[in-house]
Amino acid sequence: MNEIRLHNVVPEIFAERKDLQSDIWQRDVTIQRGRSYLISAVSGTGKSSLCSYLYGQRGDYRGEILFDGEDISAYKISRWCNIRQREISILFQDLKLFGELTALQNIEIKNDITHTKTRNEIVALFDEFGIGDKLHSRIDHMSFGQQQRVALIRALCQPFSFLLLDEAISHLDDTNSDIMRDIVMREAKARDAAIIATSIGKHMNIDYDVCLNL
Amino acid sequence: MPKSVILIWQLLRKHISIFELAIFFVANLIGMTVILAGVQLYSDIRPLLNGEQTLIGSDYLVITHPVKRVGINSESFSLEDIEDMEHQEFIDAVGAFSASQFEVNGSIMFNGRKLSTMLFFESIPDEFIDVETDEWRFEDGAKVIPIILPRNYLNLYNFGFSATQQLPQITEEMIKSVNLGINLRGKEHSDDFTGRIVGFSDRLNTILVPDAFMSWANSYYADAEESRPTRLILKVADPTNPALSDYLEEHNYVIENKPAESSKALFILKVCIAIIICIGVLFSLLSIIILTLSIYLLLQKNITKLENLVLIGYTPSRVAMPYNLITLVLNLSILAVSLVIIFLTQDLYMEQLSAIAGYQIATSPSMTIIVGVLFTALIIAFNFLIINRKIRNISRKR
Repeated sequence: MNEIRLHNVVPEIFAERKDLQSDIWQRDVTIQRGRSYLISAVSGTGKSSLCSYLYGQRGDYRGEILFDGEDISAYKISRWCNIRQREISILFQDLKLFGELTALQNIEIKNDITHTKTRNEIVALFDEFGIGDKLHSRIDHMSFGQQQRVALIRALCQPFSFLLLDEAISHLDDTNSDIMRDIVMREAKARDAAIIATSIGKHMNIDYDVCLNL
Repeated sequence: MPKSVILIWQLLRKHISIFELAIFFVANLIGMTVILAGVQLYSDIRPLLNGEQTLIGSDYLVITHPVKRVGINSESFSLEDIEDMEHQEFIDAVGAFSASQFEVNGSIMFNGRKLSTMLFFESIPDEFIDVETDEWRFEDGAKVIPIILPRNYLNLYNFGFSATQQLPQITEEMIKSVNLGINLRGKEHSDDFTGRIVGFSDRLNTILVPDAFMSWANSYYADAEESRPTRLILKVADPTNPALSDYLEEHNYVIENKPAESSKALFILKVCIAIIICIGVLFSLLSIIILTLSIYLLLQKNITKLENLVLIGYTPSRVAMPYNLITLVLNLSILAVSLVIIFLTQDLYMEQLSAIAGYQIATSPSMTIIVGVLFTALIIAFNFLIINRKIRNISRKR
């Protein structure tokens, strides 16, 4: 997949509003592979809605979203499964980890269907993030900041052309935020993938190609 | 096994209620066992009343007019009568008995003495004969007449006569090897033939010769004038059909080979088995409702995890797998346990049934197994359907 185009897209609930000041809603925006995008937003402007539309979770919008020129509104669940396994990876704002599994099991449950990383590569990422000792800890015994790092590692355990990061560093300090940036940049570059980061203030310190206000 | 399968199982087994599954297991086991017991009982008892090894009654009925007075019973069946019967949908085929219209003398050498007796022959179309043999044919000019005797005759001798007179019992094979002297006389002809017994019939209570021989002999030894049959054989799909008995009663025909009790017994058996099977089906339906509710509840309790699995790229069918597996294992074990129960109880009653019948009843589990497998497949398919529908529903875009 090479590009995502949003053509006159607007969430249903904003459709009747006349005072929308946005670089994305009701505009024509194209997101291209290989580039980095920062989407800044204040609360309640539909940031998570945008991620849900792009990831096929929700369809309550007007306008068209096109993947390589193809309208996604008709995609069936099997197609979305395919996209979620190899085209778009996401770090959810609420992470969507499984609390009763360990950190490593949370990674394996994904990596086992995509067969992307070896066990050693996974352990190396844990170490790089400074949570190498948490491999076998249950997720619900870890802090949110630690969980965010596990969720990112899981997001990297698949091929992708677009990486969606929904407030990826909200609970990270600057050091860890920089570590995350380095890993994200490295992994995205290796796949020639686009980075789409959303933020409500604090954002990863990347030299973004495009900055958009939602 | 792939790691993901173990991990999904670890995630989704939470909330599985052993108690609910146990209720389903027991309820469906009862239902399945009752249904299959009904089927097995039916296939075990049916041959006793109606089937290949006929004890009483059969799918073939022999009918006559009632004997009204001593003397010559002249009431016969007209062509119209026969045609009318052939048009009834509960009668598959009609065959007429032809009787010999000439003198028949049979003789046998016994202890150096010649014993002879007057005989008579009858014939019916070959399709109504229940003896399979290559020897059942007659060609013009042949000197050997194949004969079929009722098995009753042999039984009468073996179990009645010989036992009381200290005479040896005879087997069917021994009789088949004996040649009978047959003398036919009529229209100034008198010829000797050899009679050979080629088989024994459970269905037909008469001395049978091939139709081809009978029509030749009747024209050669008697005046060729077509005689009207006084006995008919009917092939019917269901001898218990009330329409059939109404029809026979209306025309004042008498069934010769069929005690009324057997059809009543068969009818009552069918009703009983139908009731048993209905109860079994009811049990199974209730148990399926329990399982369905249980699975729905289980899926509902795990809904967030199921959603998340689909969101990280799992296909709905992969997510459904553990649930499908549970129902598969449950239903297959129910089938297996229920078959074991049936075959164990079958041993208990088969002995008594065989004692009543007087011979070892050949029993076959195939019908029961087929019904069990089909029913189980149906339940499994239904379970899969609701599980997969529910999971697809969860996975759908909102």
